[in-house]
Amino acid sequence: MRILKLKKLNLFSFLQSLSNGIELWAPVKKDSQTVFQFILPEEINKINLNFTRTLLPPKKLFIPPSFNMFQVTAKGYKEDYSWIKDRILFGLHPCDIHGLLTLDRIFTQNFPDSYYVQARQKTLILGLSCWPDEYCLCQSTHTDIIEEGFDLFFSELGDDYLVWIGSSRGDDLIRIKPEFFEESLGTKDIEKYIEWREKRAQAFKTKINFVFMPDLMELKYNDSVWERAGTACLACGSCSMVCPTCNCYNVRDEILLGDKPGRRVREWDSCTLLEYSLVAGGENFRSKKSSRLKLWYTHKLQAFGSKYGKPSCVGCGRCLVTCPVGINVKSISDSLEGKKVDAFWARFSIEVKP
Amino acid sequence: MEKLKIGIFELTGCAGCALLILDCESQLVDIFSAADIEAFLMAKSDNSDGPVDIALIEGTVTTEEEKEELLAIRRRAGLVIAIGNCACEGGIQAALTASGNWSKEFRQVYKDLKPTNVRPIPSQPIDTFIKVDYYLPGCPIGQEQFLTTFTRLLAGHPPELYRFPVCMECKWRENECLLNKNIACLGPLTKAGCGAVCPSHNLPCVGCWGPAEEANRSAEFKLLLEKGFDPESLQRKMAIYSGTTIVDFFNSLKKERR
Repeated sequence: MRILKLKKLNLFSFLQSLSNGIELWAPVKKDSQTVFQFILPEEINKINLNFTRTLLPPKKLFIPPSFNMFQVTAKGYKEDYSWIKDRILFGLHPCDIHGLLTLDRIFTQNFPDSYYVQARQKTLILGLSCWPDEYCLCQSTHTDIIEEGFDLFFSELGDDYLVWIGSSRGDDLIRIKPEFFEESLGTKDIEKYIEWREKRAQAFKTKINFVFMPDLMELKYNDSVWERAGTACLACGSCSMVCPTCNCYNVRDEILLGDKPGRRVREWDSCTLLEYSLVAGGENFRSKKSSRLKLWYTHKLQAFGSKYGKPSCVGCGRCLVTCPVGINVKSISDSLEGKKVDAFWARFSIEVKP
Repeated sequence: MEKLKIGIFELTGCAGCALLILDCESQLVDIFSAADIEAFLMAKSDNSDGPVDIALIEGTVTTEEEKEELLAIRRRAGLVIAIGNCACEGGIQAALTASGNWSKEFRQVYKDLKPTNVRPIPSQPIDTFIKVDYYLPGCPIGQEQFLTTFTRLLAGHPPELYRFPVCMECKWRENECLLNKNIACLGPLTKAGCGAVCPSHNLPCVGCWGPAEEANRSAEFKLLLEKGFDPESLQRKMAIYSGTTIVDFFNSLKKERR
């Protein structure tokens, strides 16, 4: 892999030069949060480089929360790929790239999802280094470093970026503005980078016992933690919406009036919702919130591994900052380990005995 | 194929749901050509009291006379769809009427006045008196949800409405959770379908789509108490659009306090 050097002050000009004829998506501020958004070349200064995690993960660009799959008339149906554009997605942190690699395993292998596959093929991934806050768990989930899954990756180092070229398409991007990039790194740069890596590794304050979780989930399958968390769960689905590896969806058919064609709408769904496990005849396999939470955490911390090599949690910390009642990967795994947990659900379940 | 006969009826309410149907301006010609609108008082004067395939009913039952009217509609209708928070849950006028204090409250408002041409009763959602086939929530109902439901019904399919709370649509719009910003948002307790309009403008959900199927009232109530909200104002907030359904929850709170 080739590594180049780019002056920090040239980053925006470089990104601007790429966005000619191709949509640039990058992190921008929305109130106190940061979100990935489409950026016009003249708005390049809106890009926010100083963020830890976006509210929604980048999955929203590959499987939008709600989109039309096809138009249908009496004559047949026509798939709608109109929302899939050539795009450059800048600003992905390692956890989010790992998240996309996890989605790849689901949507491109045994049963390729044509919408996802096309959107993935048409999007270039430009990664960006980051610094952990108190919610980042990616060191525990071994997703704090990324070695694949990007076209370019920008590591911030003082006044420069070290730029990893991860693909030939990434290399093509460099060739649009070769004058911005220095070919050879000095010994000082390398030393500085090693030092940065070590410091960053020390900066992780929050940890979970991720390696132990598959076993522990099995051993504590009937633990009271599930009932206790289930009693406080609002069943709002937010954990799934913000999770970079949650990918379930539902479809709805819309019939339109007059001669207009009908549509099939595909929308994000969550296994934590009541309707998810409802089948014909009114039977519901998981009518209790506790059993739905258990299923969710099985995917994040255990069973996904037997099918795809590892559990699907990438440690981004979004469930930690999102769940209003504090049910998240950290509080659940700590609780499974027998640690005392300071979360609303734990306090609530003491008050309300199921 | 013969067109289906539709009736749109209004009981006690603000008539906002009927108005919303009338406000589907660009679609009105299509609506009126896709079905025979047999009765729709707000839109036309020649209303039939004959049979209809689908009756859309707005409002609560607030008088004995309305109860009789409702029973008559049920008898001549194929499907009955409750439209709007009043018909579905009882609406604002039914908030807490199931507490048993109705007569007292009635006297508080009307003193010794005797109604001359109606016989008032506590406001109730329509399914207190008749079988309802489907519910279209909202205060008022949403245009998009109405049209997709209407067209599915015309094609002989059941409606496909969201059964999850507002939070799902709120996250789709990438809003930060207002509860986490210490704002008393009723999103988790409220049916989705509105597109999370209020939270998308940084305003807390007031619950106008009615209680979500799995609303965890006790957890959200305790959560908001922890955040420093006072119990009385929270209860008032939760009661507004919950119709008759909130009484059991309030009773359980009283029991806990004892």
